[in-house]
Amino acid sequence: MNLPAPEQAPHNFAMFGLECRYDIEREQLERAYLALSAEHHPDRVAGADTRTQRLAMERSSLVNQAYRTLRDPVRRAEYLVKLGGIDLDSTDPKTGAPHPNQAFLIEMIEQREALEAAKSNGDDAVEDFCDDVEERADTCLSAAVRALSGGDISQAARELVTHRYLARLLEEARA
Amino acid sequence: MADKLSIEGTGGLFQIAEPTAKKAPKRRPGFGIGIDLGTTHSLVAIAANAGAPRELADENGALLPSVVSYAGPDIVVGTRALDEQLDHPGKVVSSVKRMMGRGLADIDFAHPYDLVEADDGSGVVRIAVDEQRALTPVEVSAEILKVLKARAERELGGPVDGAVLTVPAYFDDAQRQATKDAGRIAGLNVYRLLAEPTAAALAHGLDRGGQGLYAVYDLGGGTFDISILRLRDGVFQVLATGGDSALGGDDFDRALASHLLAAADISSPSRVQHEAARIAARRAKEALSSADTTTCTVPELKLDGYTLNREAFESLVEPLIKRTLRACKATLRDAGLRAPELDAVVLVGGSTRVPKVRQMVEKTFGKPPLADIDPDKVVAYGAAIQADVLSGSPREGITLLDVVPLSLGLETMGGIVEAIIPRNATIPISARQVFTNYSEQQTGMKIHVVQGERELADDCRSLARFELKGIPRLPPSMARVEVTFQLDADALLTVTARELMTGVKQTVEVKPTYGLSDEEVDRMVMASLDHAGDDFAARNLAEARVELGRVALAVRTAVDETGHLPGILPEAERQQVLAALANADEAMKSVDAKAVTAAREALEAVSEPMARRRMERALHAGMQGKSLHEIETTLADEDTLDQKRGSHSPEQIEQGA
Repeated sequence: MNLPAPEQAPHNFAMFGLECRYDIEREQLERAYLALSAEHHPDRVAGADTRTQRLAMERSSLVNQAYRTLRDPVRRAEYLVKLGGIDLDSTDPKTGAPHPNQAFLIEMIEQREALEAAKSNGDDAVEDFCDDVEERADTCLSAAVRALSGGDISQAARELVTHRYLARLLEEARA
Repeated sequence: MADKLSIEGTGGLFQIAEPTAKKAPKRRPGFGIGIDLGTTHSLVAIAANAGAPRELADENGALLPSVVSYAGPDIVVGTRALDEQLDHPGKVVSSVKRMMGRGLADIDFAHPYDLVEADDGSGVVRIAVDEQRALTPVEVSAEILKVLKARAERELGGPVDGAVLTVPAYFDDAQRQATKDAGRIAGLNVYRLLAEPTAAALAHGLDRGGQGLYAVYDLGGGTFDISILRLRDGVFQVLATGGDSALGGDDFDRALASHLLAAADISSPSRVQHEAARIAARRAKEALSSADTTTCTVPELKLDGYTLNREAFESLVEPLIKRTLRACKATLRDAGLRAPELDAVVLVGGSTRVPKVRQMVEKTFGKPPLADIDPDKVVAYGAAIQADVLSGSPREGITLLDVVPLSLGLETMGGIVEAIIPRNATIPISARQVFTNYSEQQTGMKIHVVQGERELADDCRSLARFELKGIPRLPPSMARVEVTFQLDADALLTVTARELMTGVKQTVEVKPTYGLSDEEVDRMVMASLDHAGDDFAARNLAEARVELGRVALAVRTAVDETGHLPGILPEAERQQVLAALANADEAMKSVDAKAVTAAREALEAVSEPMARRRMERALHAGMQGKSLHEIETTLADEDTLDQKRGSHSPEQIEQGA
């Protein structure tokens, strides 16, 4: 398969022969990724001129980036939201990540206090805390996926922003 | 508008890449070699024309001690250099790998050398072996590589076409660059830098002809690496890598030495006693790998026939092995896998000969580890196989997908690191980031690239600093500079910057003068675990400062631009606002996030009436002779501008989207 130049990067789903939706065929993604990687890896053109080598590097970079996005359920959902017009990595008031409401932010502060308390109560307490947060994060992702399949991009974006806060909390808890 | 965008490096960090396309020299299939450039031993292997890999030896065997002697008139490498070490400790260099890609300030371990900093201002460390010669670690490593290259040339009956050099999976940009430079100095065409665990997995994977999921457990003298790989459809893919670069077999020796000192009832040992205990401990460790008991006789400690059994030794090292297993679990989690899903566990490194290590690895992964290829040679074998492929031989190639071991990021407002390429991302990979100006006066932008997992730039390894100049004078947020970070298949970084208004482009090859030590990488990773709480507080403070800075800038601009207009800012109120601004400047110096936030809230409170009056005024002014649409547009523009002023943190753009 030929990849276009990086400047006109193709749709991440199309690159792997996948339909543009949340539920993907994992097997198809893995097979297509490995085939594209083998085809475009710079090692394949180790004997060629520098221009050919640079092109191979740029192409395999695109393949790796797209794979990273689609392989992970959260990043995949975020990417679909982005295709729908909301970029969670942007702070733009119209097209960027929606702000969580005040109540949720206060709750996050309380959760951090709960985490500190759990930490002083030993590993088991932290483990329980993590399990709870993880369960909530999973619920969030499921809700985002439901919203996506119903075409409600804004709702999906809100759930995914919540998910980011929870994921970060989990990261702190596991640190 | 400026017509040129330039990038200026500091301290000679950058080389401008040559834009010309170089013609590749013709390759000679079968003349590629694989080299494991190790801390204590190095090894060269070939696997010519799809053959099985084999190591190349001289009369002292295959393993070449990584020791270089500058004591005599000629430079001597290997066993003979080792022999000269006792008489000339300062002129015989060993374990130089630990100094690769590092600055003088980073050398925090004990060594017998006279170290100096290079006088070219690069910060790179040099080893002064005599009055005349101060050598960089890169040059010393090159001496080792030259000997291995000569071995290969004798074997091949002609010049080597190229080499695959292995590096610890944990090596950062600076350390990898230093290794590649050493290869070049030795006169080698470096095909590729390959992560050591990937090389080991390649040797085992091909051996088994299989598909599957592999864990590579690499416990060396001073470092521990764990990598999870998948072999499928002719692609070997690193799924995750992790480790502890300050944990190895040396720590086993140290634990046992302390035990011996305690047994001898010595609470404050002399240097000699310390050294004697360490040597005895090492011997005992090796003996206990095959025997159940051993006796230690150490005259310096007055120990005579002290009996040590394996059980006692194992209880001493068990906590250390447990540390490696914790890293294994974390890395499995990074890979999104559970232990039972793995098909095989590969052992690499001399320290995996300790039976307790094998037992505990087996218990953790639920299957006996593979050790049918000599753990001291398996890395060079894998490198040789890949070198054969890259030399153009008819071997059916396996594509090797390595990952970057540590996140690459940029310092943003408040010293916070924004990760742009996360750790464990498959390489090659690139990321783009767009920076905007936050005032019309801004024509330059400082960019600081760091590597590491901590949240604050000061706690990560600084890779490069450069400045973008010649940004066109445009209203806030209108000038846009796109910076692209490209990591190649060796995990070496190139930075490209492009001003989007003019399209002017410039490329820089990031050539850091020194990098992270194994110890420092570990410190950074371990410290990021230990200091997550500190990081959180520091991040709060940094964010509070950014917020206060934003509000203070907005209020100051408002006072300057509209404060003189009638009715906007009564004198009494002006005094209040100015006082609040002065208070804000003072609060900026505080390390208490709450104080910073309080200053911002106070400033917002006293400036709120002024803001309201400005808004009313804009509304009135706008109403006179203007259509409602125009007024709304103006207000919306001001609104957007304000929001953009507030969001001058870099905006991330995903490539490939």
